[in-house]
Amino acid sequence: MDVRRPDGEPGRIAENGASVRAGRRPVGTLIGCGLIVSAAAVMLGLSVRHGMTVNAWELSPAGMKAWAKFDRQEECIYHAIRSEVPEGAAVYIHDAAVYNAQRLAELSTLWAVPQPSPATARWTLSLVPGQACSGLSLEVRPR
Amino acid sequence: MSRALWVVIAGLGLPGILPALAIARRSPALVFLAPLMGAGMAAVAAELELGVGLSLLTWYVVVAVTANVAVVAWWLTAGRSPPLASPPWTWSILTMLVVLGALIVPLTSLRTGIIGYDGNAVWLTHTLMVSGGHHELLTGLRNAAYTFSNPDYPPLVPAAGALAFALVGRGDLRVAIEVTALLTACALGVVGAGVAAVGGRGRPSSRIAAVVAAGAVCMVGFSVTGIYYAVGGYADLLWSAAAVGAVVWGLVLPRSTQALVVAWICAGVASVTKNEGLATALVVLVLIALRYRPLALSRLRRPRVQPESRGLQDVAVGSAVRRWAERAGFVVVPALPGLAWAGLARLIGLHNAFFTSSSAESPVSRARATIHGMAPHLVVVPVALAVLVAGCYFVRRDRERARLGHPAWLWTAWFLSLALIYVTYVLGSPPIKWWLLTSVDRTTIYPQLVLYTDLAIWMAIAFGGGGAQAAGERPAAAPVAAAPVAARTDA
Repeated sequence: MDVRRPDGEPGRIAENGASVRAGRRPVGTLIGCGLIVSAAAVMLGLSVRHGMTVNAWELSPAGMKAWAKFDRQEECIYHAIRSEVPEGAAVYIHDAAVYNAQRLAELSTLWAVPQPSPATARWTLSLVPGQACSGLSLEVRPR
Repeated sequence: MSRALWVVIAGLGLPGILPALAIARRSPALVFLAPLMGAGMAAVAAELELGVGLSLLTWYVVVAVTANVAVVAWWLTAGRSPPLASPPWTWSILTMLVVLGALIVPLTSLRTGIIGYDGNAVWLTHTLMVSGGHHELLTGLRNAAYTFSNPDYPPLVPAAGALAFALVGRGDLRVAIEVTALLTACALGVVGAGVAAVGGRGRPSSRIAAVVAAGAVCMVGFSVTGIYYAVGGYADLLWSAAAVGAVVWGLVLPRSTQALVVAWICAGVASVTKNEGLATALVVLVLIALRYRPLALSRLRRPRVQPESRGLQDVAVGSAVRRWAERAGFVVVPALPGLAWAGLARLIGLHNAFFTSSSAESPVSRARATIHGMAPHLVVVPVALAVLVAGCYFVRRDRERARLGHPAWLWTAWFLSLALIYVTYVLGSPPIKWWLLTSVDRTTIYPQLVLYTDLAIWMAIAFGGGGAQAAGERPAAAPVAAAPVAARTDA
């Protein structure tokens, strides 16, 4: 059954009652579609390109070397805690660098028990400049 | 990387494959949905570990077996009902390959070995706690020495990581970070499969355009985030992609049981990944409930009561109550894992660190700073608005014929979630400049990804995606008795 759609495009009625396009889109609609596709493609493309720029340092040899060093440092501190602190020990983490303090708490988890105050701790942990772990060393002091 | 891939495929994907197959059938979303469902099961297992006792692995086995038995039972009983519509295998495989290819490119950055700040301070800390069993998890989360790790954060990422530790050992903590990155890719894959489905009913050329748009969206997901956040163990892109998956499957694709359940799973995953994910998931679920159980405006008008029509009115009231109960069920059931975690966290005394005290800064100055902080991350908005206007003008009828949801649904989901994040910044307690500096590039991932996805959807429609339904090809039946009044075009 031939029909004419409200936008002037010829069509027909399918078995399910839906109008089915039989011809091509009018020129105006084609231009509009071109604009939509262009704008969307440009934005998506620019976003991907922006991502490449943002990620350039991380993917550079210098960036990868820095991250590899960081990884080795993490692993080294993790094992240092397990070799230098008794299992289940109550520890107080005292490090001026907030990030290092958080790393020590994280890497102590499941081995030692970080304490919120020094009063209940048997040991104090901190990271100091050194050679053991890629520029840092674990310092363990009894209280 | 190979061990993380093994964990995602065998540890998370295998237990999720049967439920995913029951839902997705031949949709290319299947391969991405299965590990996400496995991760969702791991999150539920972590909640049981915290709330009841025992270990993650024990509860994971229980949850996975229960879910699979339930699916088999459902499959046996549903065998008598007509099968769900599924796309052809060739189409599914092509989409899957393109989306996988688009995801593999950014995933190669895993070789950098990045572990981000939150990857350490929050997610690896929680992962180790979950890995240690009930006692370690409970005492760890309650330990004031771990306050920096935001102990109230939901358990999906730690649970997936702890499952990795259970399967491959704790020798290399990076495996948990890599599992998070792979799950993030899976969530983007579900979004991509949804975008590709927009063109699923069109001509071959428009189908291919939709598949290309799907691949582009997957790459954009990693681009707007940056690989530091995308593969460095952060959960922000994971919840954002899952929430966008819920938007695409629940608010854009034609109404069907399959699309609804995929949307629910995505929203469920977002709700147990991060607190912002839970808030956004609730917003999206409310909108999905309203789309599938539309409000009937005629019922809102108070009719004049005639004595003889009292019986009919009682029936109408009963029907209205049932309908509201269904809507509530549509929201609460998929969000149950996220809501359960939030309740459990309050029960054991954990509080959100961002609302512990009132801020010394005035709300006006915080509001102004928030606008300035968010604006540079929302440059896509003007273009997305222009494309929306052009799309509604030029290809509205194609969208209607494809039975896609009205664009107002997606934009409402975008606006409400953005408003929630904005209000959180304005009313929260941390110093606003520091807070924005350390988080706004992550809290705006979802609003950006939603709009880039909208661009890809309009692109697929403009190419003719879904516009030309073959004669006799019936759309999948909606699982509801539809009575839409809000959106005339929304089938």
